[in-house]
Amino acid sequence: MILAFSAGNTLVWIVWIVAAFACLGSGIAVVSFTNPFFSALALIGNLGALAVLYLLLSAEFVAAAQVLVYAGAVMVMFLFVIAYLGGRADAPWAGGPTWQQVGAVGAAGAILVEIVVAIGLKAGGRLSHQQDVLSSFGSPRQIGRLFLTDHLLAFEITSVVLLIAAIGGVILGSHSRKLAGEKVQ
Amino acid sequence: MIVAAWICLLSPLAAALLITLFGNGISRRGAGYLATFATLVSFVCACIAFFAVWGDAPDDRSHYSTVWTWLESGSFSAGLRILVDPLSTMMMLVVSGVGSLIVAYSVGYMDGDDEERRYFAYMSIFVFSMLLLVQGGNLLLLLAGWGLVGLSSYLLIGFWQERPSAIAAAKKAFVMNAFGDATMALALFLLIQHTGSVNFDSVFARAPDLASNHWLVNLVALGLLGGAVAKSAQLPLQTWLPDAMEGPTPVSALIHAATMVTAGVYLIVRTHPLFELAPKVEDLAAGLGAATLLLAGLIALVQTDIKRVIAYSTMSQIGYMFLGAGIGADANGMFHLMTHAFFKALLFMAAGIVIHALAGEQDIRKMGGLRGLLPRTYLAFLVGALALVGLPPFAGFFSKDSILAAAMHDGWYGYVLWAAGLVGTFLTGLYTFRMLFVVFGGEPSAFVREHLIRARRHGHEHAHRGEGPFSMTSTVAILAVLSVIGGWIQFAPLWTPITHWLDVVAPTLPQAEPTNWQEAISSALAFGLGLAGLVIAWLVYSRRRLAVPRLAFAQRALEHKFYFDEAYDLVFYRPAAAVARLYVRIVEPLAVGGSITGLARGTRDVARGVSEAQTGLLRTYALAIASGLVVLVVVFISVK
Amino acid sequence: MTLGILGPEVSWYLAVSAFLFATGALGVLLRRSPLIVLLSLEIMLNGANLALIAFARHQGNGAGQIFALAVMAVAASEVVVGLGLIVAISRRNLDLDVDKLRTLRG
Repeated sequence: MILAFSAGNTLVWIVWIVAAFACLGSGIAVVSFTNPFFSALALIGNLGALAVLYLLLSAEFVAAAQVLVYAGAVMVMFLFVIAYLGGRADAPWAGGPTWQQVGAVGAAGAILVEIVVAIGLKAGGRLSHQQDVLSSFGSPRQIGRLFLTDHLLAFEITSVVLLIAAIGGVILGSHSRKLAGEKVQ
Repeated sequence: MIVAAWICLLSPLAAALLITLFGNGISRRGAGYLATFATLVSFVCACIAFFAVWGDAPDDRSHYSTVWTWLESGSFSAGLRILVDPLSTMMMLVVSGVGSLIVAYSVGYMDGDDEERRYFAYMSIFVFSMLLLVQGGNLLLLLAGWGLVGLSSYLLIGFWQERPSAIAAAKKAFVMNAFGDATMALALFLLIQHTGSVNFDSVFARAPDLASNHWLVNLVALGLLGGAVAKSAQLPLQTWLPDAMEGPTPVSALIHAATMVTAGVYLIVRTHPLFELAPKVEDLAAGLGAATLLLAGLIALVQTDIKRVIAYSTMSQIGYMFLGAGIGADANGMFHLMTHAFFKALLFMAAGIVIHALAGEQDIRKMGGLRGLLPRTYLAFLVGALALVGLPPFAGFFSKDSILAAAMHDGWYGYVLWAAGLVGTFLTGLYTFRMLFVVFGGEPSAFVREHLIRARRHGHEHAHRGEGPFSMTSTVAILAVLSVIGGWIQFAPLWTPITHWLDVVAPTLPQAEPTNWQEAISSALAFGLGLAGLVIAWLVYSRRRLAVPRLAFAQRALEHKFYFDEAYDLVFYRPAAAVARLYVRIVEPLAVGGSITGLARGTRDVARGVSEAQTGLLRTYALAIASGLVVLVVVFISVK
Repeated sequence: MTLGILGPEVSWYLAVSAFLFATGALGVLLRRSPLIVLLSLEIMLNGANLALIAFARHQGNGAGQIFALAVMAVAASEVVVGLGLIVAISRRNLDLDVDKLRTLRG
C-alpha cells in the first residue's frame, strides 16, 4: 500500500478516518443497544457515515440517494413502527443455547477472515491500481444514462419489486380478522 | 377320417365352452342334454374313425395330423398333433361310448341338483381331456391330457363343495396324481434330451439306440411307470381312489372305473417300445399289478360302503391290466380294459340306482332285500357281478383269463404272477357276491322298509315306472347287454381279432403267448376259483351257514387298509407340516419381519432423527446459513 | 479530465465493508428481538453496498453504483415487508421474541 501524502490528501485522510470509525462504531452500537429506538438512531448515524464514504469514492448520486431514501424514508418508517410497538427492551445477549452463541461468534469471525483472505488472494495485486475517472463519474447524469441504457432491465425490475413490496405492506398491515385472545407459548 | 377324429376330440370341449358361456341362460336339463349330445357326436365320429382305420391295410394304420406347430427349435418341433391308429381308435370308442352312456345316465341322476350345469361342464371337460390323452400324437399332448384329466378328476370329486370330506378327497387325489405327473415329466425331459423329439414315431424309432444306456432307459421307464401308478391307483399310490368315491356316482363310474384310471394302462401299452428296453421295470409293473390286485381284493372284503367295494374292485382289476401289460401281453390288457369299462360302469351305475332309491344311503349294512323292490336293478347288478368274477359266457371270463394264461407262459416269475391272479379271482368272487347278497338278498332291512316301501306307498317315489328315471334305467340296460356280449369279441386262442387289431401298434411278446394247454388249464382254474368264491359268499351271507372268521388282527389291518394312509401321514405329511410350522414361527418373523418391518421401522427412526433439525428457531436456521456460507467460501477459494 | 483517487486506496474501504458485514451477521445471529435483527440485516446490506461502490470506483465502471442503488431499493422493500410482519405479530399479542416464534417446527 502506498500512502500518497499530499496536502489535499491529508484532509481526505482525516475525513476518511473519522467517517470509517463512525461507521464501525455505529454498526457495533446497532447490534449491541438494548433499546431498539437507540439502535435505529445508531443506524441512521451509520447511514450518514456511509454517505460520506460514498462521496469520497466519487459516488455522489448514491450518497444522496442513501441519505434521502434510506435515512430519510426507510429509517423513518422503522422509527414509526418502533414507536408504535412501544420498543420493548430485551436483554440482548440472554437466551438461546450457549452453543448457538459460540457458533454465531465463530461464524461471524470466520466470515470476516474469509472475506479478507478471499479478496487478498484473488485480487491482491490488482487492488493497488485504481482507474482514473472523469469528474462526471458517479454524477446523476451518468447514473441516469446508465439506468436508461445499459441497465434498463434492472431499473424496471427494481420498480416492480418496490411495487410488490408496497402491496405486501398494505396487505400485511390491514386489519384482518383478529383471532381473539390468542397467545402462543 | 382325420376330420372325424378332430371332431371327436373337440366336440366335448365345445359343449363345455357353450355350457360355460350360456351360464344361467341354459336350463339345467338343457346343459345335460347338450353334454350328452356332444359325447354322442364324439362316439359317432370315433366309429367313423374306427371304420376308416379298419379299411386301411394293416401296415398303413397310423395316421398323424398336425394342426398347429407350437414349438420349433432347430430340429425339435412340437405341436397340436393327433394320432389315429388301432390303439387310439379302440380307446376313443371305449371313452366316448361308455362316456356318452354315463353322461346320459347323469341327466337322471343329477336331476334336481342346483349345480347341474357346472357338473355337465366338468364332465365334458373330462371327456375332452381323456380323448386328448388317447389321441395325442406326441408325448407333450399326452402329458397335457394327463394333467387335464387329473384336473377334471379333482373338480368332479370335490363337486359337492359344501362337504369338507369331498374337498379333502379331491385334494388327496390331485396331490398323489401330481407326484405321478412329476415323474412322468422327468421321463419326458430325459427322452427329449436323448432323442431330440417328442413325437411318438420319432421317439420310438430312435428308442433302440438308447438300449445301451441302461441307466437312461430304466429311469425313463420308471418315470413313466410312476405316472401310470399314480393315475391308475396302484401300489404304492393307491390310497386316493377309495376316497374319491366322495364324488357323485356317475363320476365314479366314468372316471374311476372306466376311463381315467385306465389311462395308466394305456400309457404303458402306448410306450411299450420304451418299456421293452427296460425289462426289469416291466417286471416291476407286473409285480405291482399283482400285489395291488391281492391287496385290493382283501380290503374289499371288509368294506361297508357300496361304492368303496366297487372302487377296490376297480383297483384290483386294473392290477390285472398292469399285470398283462407288464408281461408283454398288451392286447390282452387292452381287451380287459374294454370289458372292465363295461361291467364296472354297469356296477357303479346300478349301485347309483340303489343309492338314488334310498335317498343317498351308501352303507350296505343298512340295505337288504332289495331284490324284490328293485328287480331290474338286481338283474343288472347280477350281470355285472358275474362279468366281474369272470364266469362264462360273460365278458370278464374272456379277458381276464387270457391275461392269466399269458402269465403262465412267462417263466418262473410268470408263475408267481399267475398264482396271485388266481387267488385274486377267488377273492373277487368272494367280495363281489358278498356285496350282492348283502344288498339285494334276504328280507328288507328296517332302513329299506322306512325309506323305500313307505315312500312308494305314499307316492313319493318318481312318477316313472319303477326304479329310476328313464335315462338311468336305459343306459344301465345297454351296459348290461354289453357286459354279456362284450367279451365275445375275442376268445383266445381260437378267435383273436383284438390281438390282430393291435398287432401293428402293440404286438404281444412271444413269452406272453400261451399254449393251448396252458389256456385251458388257466381258464378252468379261474372258473373254478371264481365259482368257489361265489359259493362261499352265498353260504356266509345268504344262507348263513358259515360264519365270518373272527381274526381280530386281520380284521383291523383290513379295515385300516393295511395302514397305508397312516404310514403316508407319518412319513410325508407330518415332516412337511413340521417344516411349515418352523417357517411360520421362526423363519418368517426373522426374514420377512426383519427385512420389511425392519425397513419401515428404520425409515421412521431416520425420519424422526432428521426432523430434530427442524427446531423452528430462526436463529438456528440463520446460523446454519452462515456456516454454510463459510464452508462454501472456503471451497470456492481452494478450488478456484 | 481524469482524476486519481484521493485518500486511501480501495482496499481500505473493503476492510471497512468486511467489518460491517461481520458485525451485521453477529447481530442477526445473536439478538432476540426481531426489530434488532432487521436493523442488523440493514447493516449487512450497507456493508455490501460499500464494497460495491468501492469496486465501482476501482474499475471505473458505473455498473457497481447501479447495483448499489438496486440493493437499496430491495432493502427498502424487505424492510416494508418485515415491519409489516412484526406489526401483525404484535397485533396478535405474541411475544416479539424470535426464540418463541417457533410453531413451524418439524
